[in-house]
Amino acid sequence: MPPGMNTAMNAWLRDHPWQADGLLAAALLVVSAPQVAAGQTGAAGRVALTAVTVLLAASVVPRRRYPGAAFSAAAVIGATQIAFGVQNGGPGPVFALQPTNADLAILVLLYTLAAYRSRPVSITGLAVCLVGSAVAIARWSPANGPHPAGALFAAAAGLGGLTLTAWVLGDSVAYRYRRAYYASLEERAARLEAERDAQARIAAAAERARELQERRARAVDDSAARLRGIERDLHDGAQVRLAALAMTLGEIKENLEQSSGDDHTLALAGAAHQNAKDTLAELRDLARGIHPPVLDRGLGPALGILAGTSAIPVGLTVALAERPSPAIEAMAYFCTAELLANAAKHSGASRVTVSVREQDSGLAVSVADDGDGGARLVPGGGLAGLRERVQTVDGRLEVGSPPGGPTIVTIELPRHA
Amino acid sequence: MTATPECLRIVIAEDAAIMRDGLTQTLTRRGHDVVAAVADAEALRIAVLEHRPDVAIIDVRMPPTHTDEGLRAAQAIHKEHPAVGVLVFSQYIETASAAELFASAPAGVGYLLKDRVADVSDFIDAISRVAHGGTVLDPEVVRQLLTASRRGDTLAALTPREREVLSLIAQGRSNAAIAATLFISPKVVEKHVANIFDKLGLAPDDHDNRRVIAALRYLES
Repeated sequence: MPPGMNTAMNAWLRDHPWQADGLLAAALLVVSAPQVAAGQTGAAGRVALTAVTVLLAASVVPRRRYPGAAFSAAAVIGATQIAFGVQNGGPGPVFALQPTNADLAILVLLYTLAAYRSRPVSITGLAVCLVGSAVAIARWSPANGPHPAGALFAAAAGLGGLTLTAWVLGDSVAYRYRRAYYASLEERAARLEAERDAQARIAAAAERARELQERRARAVDDSAARLRGIERDLHDGAQVRLAALAMTLGEIKENLEQSSGDDHTLALAGAAHQNAKDTLAELRDLARGIHPPVLDRGLGPALGILAGTSAIPVGLTVALAERPSPAIEAMAYFCTAELLANAAKHSGASRVTVSVREQDSGLAVSVADDGDGGARLVPGGGLAGLRERVQTVDGRLEVGSPPGGPTIVTIELPRHA
Repeated sequence: MTATPECLRIVIAEDAAIMRDGLTQTLTRRGHDVVAAVADAEALRIAVLEHRPDVAIIDVRMPPTHTDEGLRAAQAIHKEHPAVGVLVFSQYIETASAAELFASAPAGVGYLLKDRVADVSDFIDAISRVAHGGTVLDPEVVRQLLTASRRGDTLAALTPREREVLSLIAQGRSNAAIAATLFISPKVVEKHVANIFDKLGLAPDDHDNRRVIAALRYLES
């Protein structure tokens, strides 16, 4: 038989206990039928013998479902046989319930008991069988004619051996089952432990992530606040002093223009005055690059100023019900500033549309131009830099810019860092 | 554009002491009367109420929030005391703020970048114009309006000279001042102005303040 077929048959036997054991019962009936047919006593005896044989054979059918009950039933039938069927001299009993091949059912059931039930139960079954065998041989021996001691011994050894073999076979199956069961228990325990470890690690990682997120938010907010502070210091300090200085130099220059003819000093004063004014303009650009003060009034006014200073006309819509955190506002502002500058420098666009709107739990800024398109995210490029900046607060930046345009850059930011 | 012989009564609102004192001294030296120099919007309100100056010079950013207190104060003063000129000056150009300030009636209203104090006579001239009910808009604001205007196509139809004149109109200059600035005759300026208003499809208006509004509305629309 090919191994595949063997496996298939085993599987069928395993998966269909009732049918398989039904076949076994039928086989027992078949092999004991000649003995029943040869039963020598009268009609009543034959009926009894037939009934006992059928019962014995049938007892294997539920063996896998009810090993104990099936064994007990068979044992009772066996005991009945011993009581009434084993001749011990005299004219013979009323019923001649001599053992038949169907008694193999008892061995099958002992095997089943050993395989499916605990050791104490199966050993009890073994003891019952051995005692039964001994009693049967003892009752059979003295009066049943001249049995030589050797034949008695052989019968005892054979019956005992068969019984023991059935038990041992069953017990070894149980042992294998138990070992597999214990192994599976151990494996399950190990798996559960690993799972618990993994869960603990995940929890720790999540905790750490939360902690880092909080720290990052604090760092981002702190840095935004610091930049705002620097701008304010410049505004209240250096810028004012410089403006006052420029004013003084302006007065000096005008006084010199009106009074003396000292052209050299006038030229010096004029140069100093111009320098002061240029520096003032530079300082203003620098301060605005650090933190445009108008951002304090919100993204709308701030972007309005950006739009006003753009080299190409900008259509602006800002629809935010709630103000994002200052750090996020600053990020949205500087990103928009850079995108507007890009559009003016590279796109050839005649018009740019900037829109800021609520989205999920944050805001979406989109900058769209009607230029030539072809803008790409290249490593080290301006857009990649913007994306990196946005990603520091878990934001996203997407670029859509087919050749021929239009270019749409969308930035999604959370409401808080 | 030399020092004006008149004496203007001026209130200054500026939170930075060095600028407040510097302005006070400069204006005083030029013969004006700084009747009050204050550091916040509330003190400004009281000073204006008390002194009824010709003009108030107001810094946009003042305590407590350092955002746009000065702008709000200027609007309130302009509304409650139309006779008091308000000149707002700001560290940064904010076109939107300027537009807000000029939205109603621009008579006696000015908006300048703080840097302009460096050119003392021009600055004092601006103060004087605002004090007399004129309009002053920073050239930088006008430049930004011209750049950002959606009327780029129409504006392109202007000659460079006409653009210059339009810019000066928007800054609040009179025809005479424009003529002096560009070294051309008032007659030529008038011709340019007529051409500009014609090209832009605006009704001609000789009144300085009204034509500023017309020009600004046009540029912003």
